[in-house]
Amino acid sequence: MGKGGLHLETKEPIIKLAIAEKFINLARANSIWPMTFGLACCAIEMMAAAMARFDIARFGAEVFRPSPRQADLMIVNGTVTKKMAPTVVTLYEQMPSPKWVIVMGNCAISGGPFGFKGQYNIIEGIDKLIPVDVYVPGCPPRPEGLLEGLMKLEEKITGTRRFPVPEQRW
Amino acid sequence: MVKEISEKIKESIGSVEPVETPYDQRGYHLSIEATQANIVDITGFFDRIGFYLADMCCVDYIDYLEIVYFFNNHSKVCRIRVTLKVDPERPSAPTISHIYKIARWYEREIHEFFGVLFEGHPFMTYLFLHDQIDFYPLRKKQVPVPEKDKRLLNSFNPEEQEDGFFLNLGPQHPSTHGVLRVVVKMNGEYILSAEPILGYLHRMHEKMAENRTYQQFYPNPARMDYLGALNFNLGYVTTVEKLCGIEVPERAQYIRTITAELNRISSHLLWFGAFVADLGGLTPFLYTFDDRENILDILEAVAGSRLTYSYFRFGGLFNDVDDDFVKNVKKFIDRLRSRFSMYERLVTGNVIFINRVKNIGVMDKTYPLKYGCSGPVIRSIDIPFDIRKHEPYAAYDRVDFEVATGTNADNMDRYLIRIKEMGISLNIIEKALNDLPSGPIKAEKIPKKLKPPKGDIYHTIESPRGELGVYIVSDESDVPYRMRWRVPSYSNLMTFPELAGGSLIADAIATLGSYDLVIPEIDR
Repeated sequence: MGKGGLHLETKEPIIKLAIAEKFINLARANSIWPMTFGLACCAIEMMAAAMARFDIARFGAEVFRPSPRQADLMIVNGTVTKKMAPTVVTLYEQMPSPKWVIVMGNCAISGGPFGFKGQYNIIEGIDKLIPVDVYVPGCPPRPEGLLEGLMKLEEKITGTRRFPVPEQRW
Repeated sequence: MVKEISEKIKESIGSVEPVETPYDQRGYHLSIEATQANIVDITGFFDRIGFYLADMCCVDYIDYLEIVYFFNNHSKVCRIRVTLKVDPERPSAPTISHIYKIARWYEREIHEFFGVLFEGHPFMTYLFLHDQIDFYPLRKKQVPVPEKDKRLLNSFNPEEQEDGFFLNLGPQHPSTHGVLRVVVKMNGEYILSAEPILGYLHRMHEKMAENRTYQQFYPNPARMDYLGALNFNLGYVTTVEKLCGIEVPERAQYIRTITAELNRISSHLLWFGAFVADLGGLTPFLYTFDDRENILDILEAVAGSRLTYSYFRFGGLFNDVDDDFVKNVKKFIDRLRSRFSMYERLVTGNVIFINRVKNIGVMDKTYPLKYGCSGPVIRSIDIPFDIRKHEPYAAYDRVDFEVATGTNADNMDRYLIRIKEMGISLNIIEKALNDLPSGPIKAEKIPKKLKPPKGDIYHTIESPRGELGVYIVSDESDVPYRMRWRVPSYSNLMTFPELAGGSLIADAIATLGSYDLVIPEIDR
């Protein structure tokens, strides 16, 4: 889960309805609407995660929306170039709050294989531009990796994990 | 044919001296040194005799810049290299964009990466790069952009210059299959003109090649075209092998053919789903991904990754296939064959689908020569041009197969050709599996640091999207001096403005889908 890089300050609400909030967060976590937003190779694995075998619908996140105004999760899946960066930021700003960002793949995390000395065209890490909640490393990550990232995000929203991780007993 | 052309060009343009080159080592038959005065005449000559501009690139030799043109034709194996030396201090050359329309983009590309100004070019602005770059990236010495050229850097923004109703397709748009931006000028629902803007995923592969050894560059081709990763991998590996004269064992050649064809099927399956999804039917997407996962399972077992394979090595393969692989592939062949009839019922005969694609996006017969398009796009114009047949590599000359063509040159034809190609690929795999020889899978004595002999090479293969060309200049070190990728989607996409002009916006989306674009491959 994201700690480094940019972060939005979340203010404490004036009136706090703890039970209602908990309930709403549970609803949010189980019906995440990602944005149909593909950058590069990782987008294909994101598509694979949404298809029959991996079936992201099991976790309520299958409603991919082409418009940022209807989405609450942005999956940054691919290299962000300097030419594309303003568009990514605009898309993030167009999403209504509350909104979350999953960074998929090494390119978007740190520039990945394209962050070599003398590079002139890519942003080395999208967390320099927008706040990031979950990082999913890999080149590209497997669809299971994205699903695990989604569950991490649910954990961040609700505070509890969907499936408890088994304790090591050996 | 080579001698014939050599004599003809001497007759037509007096002052040139064509030199015959060994095709096995260089990949081209004839080399011609042009001058600023006669390059337009030479280009015009090749246009008259029915050659197309296969590639155009620039190499920085520090003392001089060299612009390299490759001409090729669709009927006989005959490739010609034309070089033009340019002064590095004030680089300029005459344009050939009025003869070959594809040169419009090639020249813009050379201009932004090397700073060569093409005199007479109608639209000399940046194609790939963003406007803050103040040097020429692929020059060997850092050369700043001159002050007077800076106005050319600004990317293309027609909405600020002209009146009219403009619509931005992309860079974030589901039907552009990535981050392509097309600015279309509209009149109601009809498109007046369209201008693709590239470079939203320019990942500097050609620059990276100059910083990596030959072995270190293995993973990159797979990331250029992630759907046809093995084909791009094969293109790179075979080029370097040809340059070094490495013999590849027979078994490796057959396995290369089988895996590359499996990869082609998986690419076509994804395209099939995405194309129908562009037209509004999401269901086939779920079916084709189901089939595709089977291929990914098979390839993952041998190559180790699901998508971006770098399975081939110089002189052979990363590892051998086992009996399970053969068994699984045979099982998959039967499975996919039984699925075709279902796809036929589901999509091909669907009246809504037919109305959306039949007689839409019809290509002109002149496009193959003017734009140099290739792959299923050119085969829909009834030209059976397929590198697998034309200049066989791997084991394609030992398995017999047909080339699918169409006659209507519309979106329906491009759809049908890809469906047929999947069947043909299955046949190729089946034949290759039956003849699969035993033996070693890797050539012996491949040095850890590969140092190819001095010289250049141009080699092509047939990727799922068309003709992929790799041009490597070696200076006897373990790092390529210059590596250039001629990518198929680039020239295919260039025909889009012509097809989109005058059509409905919804039909243009269907046409864009029929190209099977992969944007990282175009942007490199």
